[in-house]
Amino acid sequence: MIGLKELHKSFGGRRALEPLTLDVAGGEVVALIGPNGAGKSTTLRMLAGLIQPSGGRATIGGHDVVTEAAAARRQLGYLSQRSGCPLATVVGDLAGLVARVREVPFEQAVQSLARAGMEDRLECTLGELSGGQRQRAMVELATLGPVAALLLDEPSISLDSEGSEHVRDAIRQARDRGTAVLFASHHLHDVAVLADRIVVLVQGRVVAQGTLAQLALAAGVPCDAGVTDSPIERIYQVLVQRGRTAAPRLTIVRENAA
Amino acid sequence: MTHFGALFRFELAGARRTRTVPAFAAGFGLASMAVAFIGLSAGGVMEVQGFARTSVSLLQLTIWVVPMLALVTGALAGAECHELELMATLPVRRESLVLTRWLGWSVALGAAILVGLGLAGGVIGLLAGTADAWRYLRLIGVALLLLCATLSLGIWIGVMARARLKALAIAVAIWFILVIGVDLAAIGLLALLPPSKAGWWLSILLMADPVDSARVLGLSLFQTEVVTGPTGAALRRVLGGAGSWAIVAALAAWTMVPLAMAGRRFARSDL
Repeated sequence: MIGLKELHKSFGGRRALEPLTLDVAGGEVVALIGPNGAGKSTTLRMLAGLIQPSGGRATIGGHDVVTEAAAARRQLGYLSQRSGCPLATVVGDLAGLVARVREVPFEQAVQSLARAGMEDRLECTLGELSGGQRQRAMVELATLGPVAALLLDEPSISLDSEGSEHVRDAIRQARDRGTAVLFASHHLHDVAVLADRIVVLVQGRVVAQGTLAQLALAAGVPCDAGVTDSPIERIYQVLVQRGRTAAPRLTIVRENAA
Repeated sequence: MTHFGALFRFELAGARRTRTVPAFAAGFGLASMAVAFIGLSAGGVMEVQGFARTSVSLLQLTIWVVPMLALVTGALAGAECHELELMATLPVRRESLVLTRWLGWSVALGAAILVGLGLAGGVIGLLAGTADAWRYLRLIGVALLLLCATLSLGIWIGVMARARLKALAIAVAIWFILVIGVDLAAIGLLALLPPSKAGWWLSILLMADPVDSARVLGLSLFQTEVVTGPTGAALRRVLGGAGSWAIVAALAAWTMVPLAMAGRRFARSDL
């Protein structure tokens, strides 16, 4: 459903993302993790059509995001790390626009916003909402309608525990509907709980990818089954450190490597 | 892929909610009432001016205020395009985002002009009679044409500049050039070129400035060559009666070309 083949991006002379190949199937959740500047947002923004790739190919539902942008975006839901809209935008107006473009009834958009506790905030501007409220509203709008591929850039940013749970629920529901979900996050707990596969990026390079168990194996960190005892923090530190000190040597963990 | 109607409704709703629109309507209404009521007081006469005198007085205000407001509003709206990440990931063309943004603001600010000048016009008509009301209506038309052109130019500036503050600074500089700089250039041309060659150059200079174009078009309502200035007089010499249509065409071009450039630029921009 989401496909990246040798996708790469340079800003001026600086390589922001080395060639990246990745597939996310329908009903699968894949997480991009890595330190700031690793290329996570760049990857998502290229997939969303917000920035042009320097090379390679990205597809949504088999449609190239550059040459078949319309068809690709028809299946896409995207949550930006930024607000994604001017803060003077009225919540109800924005919901109305998304509903019309995605061809769902406005009432469905209102119901979605109600799930985020926004039913009485339709007349508010985005700037009048708290950061957490805004994030929850934008998550609901990103997942509104027939979305086959969902891209979320730091979906839990500025959220309290209740808000984070709301976002996790939204991702699970999308996955259960068969949506391919690719998200970038610094919240490693969310990653451990949600992701079927994890891609670790450091300085624009993939240093590891696989399931949590596969990454634990690659990092040499014991991986307990329980989520609360997840060693993901330790795995992350080991892999990122390894990526920083030996960036050209990639540790790619294949599906069958476990 | 277009969803033009949905985008237009969204943009119009956003523009309508701002304080700019009612402030603009109230400002124009009050200005025209003030001109109508106190315009003759300097001559010791205390009565309401008719439409002809009021239109002449308002023209100068229009060609200064409308471009300033439209350039600034357009520049901010254009720069804001780069914040429309959510909309840019919807199945809509980026060019449509720019076009509907321009259309939304044009309709909102155009309605403000119509309401402001319209209400004042109603009062003037009641108190001073309806003679020459067509001049007043055509003045409103000139204001709307100027609004469309300078708003388009402002949006192009904003899309190119990306940052709001930079866009704002460029818009103010462009306003200054359009309102004053081109007049100075015309005077310079007149001083440098022989009269036989100056006519065409001054006509081109007139078309190259939407504000001067609107000023000459507005003054043409009064069939007076004396006050149209060097560019307006040159246009009349060069194109005769077709001059007004040439100005309308120039203003239409000033609307369409910057808008097309802004759409093209935004479609190719990384957000």
